[in-house]
Amino acid sequence: MLNIWLIAKREYLERVRAKSFLLMTVLIPVLMGGLVYGAALVNGRSGSNLHIAVVTEDRQFGLDLKSELESATHIDSDGDSGKQGVTKVDVISPPASDTRATLDSQLQDRRLDGYIWVTPPATPHTRPTFEWVSKSKADILTPALLGSGIRTTLTREGLGSLGMPLPEIDSLLQPVDLVSKDKNAAFASVYALFFLMYFVILFYGMNVARSIIEEKTSRVFEVLLATIRPEELMAGKVLGVGAVGLTQIGIWIVAGLTVAKLGLLAAGVSFSITPVQVGFFILFFLLGYVLYSSVAAALGAMTSSEQELQQMNMFLMLPLIACSLVILRVVRDSDGLIAKAFSFFPFCTPLIMYVRIAVRQPPAWQIALSITGLVLTILAVLWFASRIYRVGILMYGKKPNLPEILRWLKYS
Amino acid sequence: MPIVEMQRVRKVYDTKIAVADLSFTIEPGTMFGLLGPNGSGKTSSIRMMIGMTVPDSGTVSLFGQPFSREQLTRVGYLPEERGLYKKMKVMDQLIFLGELHGLDATTASKRAHVWCEKMEITEAIPKKTEELSKGMQQKIQFIAALLHEPDLVIMDEPFSGLDPVNAALLMDTLVDLRKQGKTILFSTHRMDQVEKICDAIALISRGHLVLSGGMREVKSRYPRNRIQVTFEGDDSFLKHPSIESAKNYGGQAEIKLHGLNGASPDAQPLLAAAIQRGTRITRFEVMEPTLEEIFIETVGENVDA
Repeated sequence: MLNIWLIAKREYLERVRAKSFLLMTVLIPVLMGGLVYGAALVNGRSGSNLHIAVVTEDRQFGLDLKSELESATHIDSDGDSGKQGVTKVDVISPPASDTRATLDSQLQDRRLDGYIWVTPPATPHTRPTFEWVSKSKADILTPALLGSGIRTTLTREGLGSLGMPLPEIDSLLQPVDLVSKDKNAAFASVYALFFLMYFVILFYGMNVARSIIEEKTSRVFEVLLATIRPEELMAGKVLGVGAVGLTQIGIWIVAGLTVAKLGLLAAGVSFSITPVQVGFFILFFLLGYVLYSSVAAALGAMTSSEQELQQMNMFLMLPLIACSLVILRVVRDSDGLIAKAFSFFPFCTPLIMYVRIAVRQPPAWQIALSITGLVLTILAVLWFASRIYRVGILMYGKKPNLPEILRWLKYS
Repeated sequence: MPIVEMQRVRKVYDTKIAVADLSFTIEPGTMFGLLGPNGSGKTSSIRMMIGMTVPDSGTVSLFGQPFSREQLTRVGYLPEERGLYKKMKVMDQLIFLGELHGLDATTASKRAHVWCEKMEITEAIPKKTEELSKGMQQKIQFIAALLHEPDLVIMDEPFSGLDPVNAALLMDTLVDLRKQGKTILFSTHRMDQVEKICDAIALISRGHLVLSGGMREVKSRYPRNRIQVTFEGDDSFLKHPSIESAKNYGGQAEIKLHGLNGASPDAQPLLAAAIQRGTRITRFEVMEPTLEEIFIETVGENVDA
């Protein structure tokens, strides 16, 4: 035990003191925060400061649409108030012969974002046709906004002509506010933690492999193995590197919460994490890390250079990539067949079961079963890895083939 | 009670026999040389001695007990390939390795400083390992093996890659350790280097033990049949019947004798003959066989047989 502690301590201190650790710890949240904040900013701008014109023969309709659109901006796509843009609507009624040319030139000059051209119906009692001309072909949010504004205005006119009093029309057309804010935030936090776990498991798992190869190429382990067992060396490495990972995550979470308070909340993204989620996150992170880093330790012992490791690391990547491919489905249908299958496949359990728990807690027996499977797999991998390790670490040069690796398992 | 006892130890890697039924013992307080050419099984034997690998058959005993890992705290090991953490500072590294051998950090640090002074590398202490020269790294490794004051010191090719001055420094240190009663085993393929300092040797070739025993005893088993002579005047004594072959450099000659009528080689008749012929002899030395000659002779015999 003392030896494991010594190995882990050295591994931890050397890594945490390294400049690259500081750099990673600072840069990654800055980059991620920058991305999220930037995305939020861009999203926030999409509905803002819209200046359009409505061209119609029916002046009353034009004014109704103007008041509808100018008030509708209070309910924006992300449902957050505060950072809202203003929609300004000019009503041109009736159009002159040169109106279209004037508007087109205003579009060119960017004094106008777009205009709606209303053509009266050919026969009475049918709807007029609406033409939307804008400078941006790719903007899909604005037409949707305008479409619903026009429909509301038409409905309001129709109901009014049927004799319904104005207050009743207003209350009928009140926009429905779906309360989905908490759920969105929960999903965001699930995604964030999923990728955090994904990244850290992969990154630090590879670090274990790399550190083993480093000791192999520098032959340090020959000195180490003269006093300690290969199992102790491996355990110390896995623990030490894992502790570095936890330290980094810890720093990030604290920093992340601070940043979230300062900036992300204001930008409309919030993280809400329940204590149960935190508990399961830590549990699954630890188990997942031990599983993957044991596999990585075996890979490191089998190979003798970083390049060879690059070729082998798909064994680490594949299950993780599979997880990232199905996570959308799992979030949408957390009790579905795919979600269940992946959450019981030990190499995916840490990520997928965690997501399932975070989305909607599955029955306790399922959680227990998946954790049992995971722990048993970890024990098997540890046994396998330590066998590979104690033989493979003394082998240089030639890359072992499968029969050789199987033979290693029999060596004592 | 021998400090190390190898009994019919065998290790086979796939089809290659690395060590074949090797047996030898090392007595306390001796300087023991494990000799043999490259690839003869020296490193494989040493690895089994310290439990890094397990013999396929045979037994290893340390300090009179069957091998167990607890004994390793009394062993200091210098591997053939030097291994240190490149990015780690020298003192941190020595303390870490000392702690692994059961020292506490303070003792390890104190002893490391003393050793660095002894090895004349105090300027290396604050540096990172990768900034040091190869020779300096080797000294650090050497210190790391000795920090916990082991009773048995095992060094795999300790002198390879060292300049003569540093090799001599290391050799002196080993001799000092033996004087303190430590047992020292080292392997080398440079047999000429160890003639002076070894008390006992084991010579191995292709995994097999060729010969082993005390240095004097081994050498006495082989005839003293080489003579170096410096002379002036008549060189006709070089045609003496007891001479098997002679190289005459004019005034100096190297002579190999062979025994006459089944007797062991004798230099006296040759010397008498030279003096009789009036040759002026300024030096006449009967040489001990070198380990290298013994090795070549023994391995050659084995191959013939």
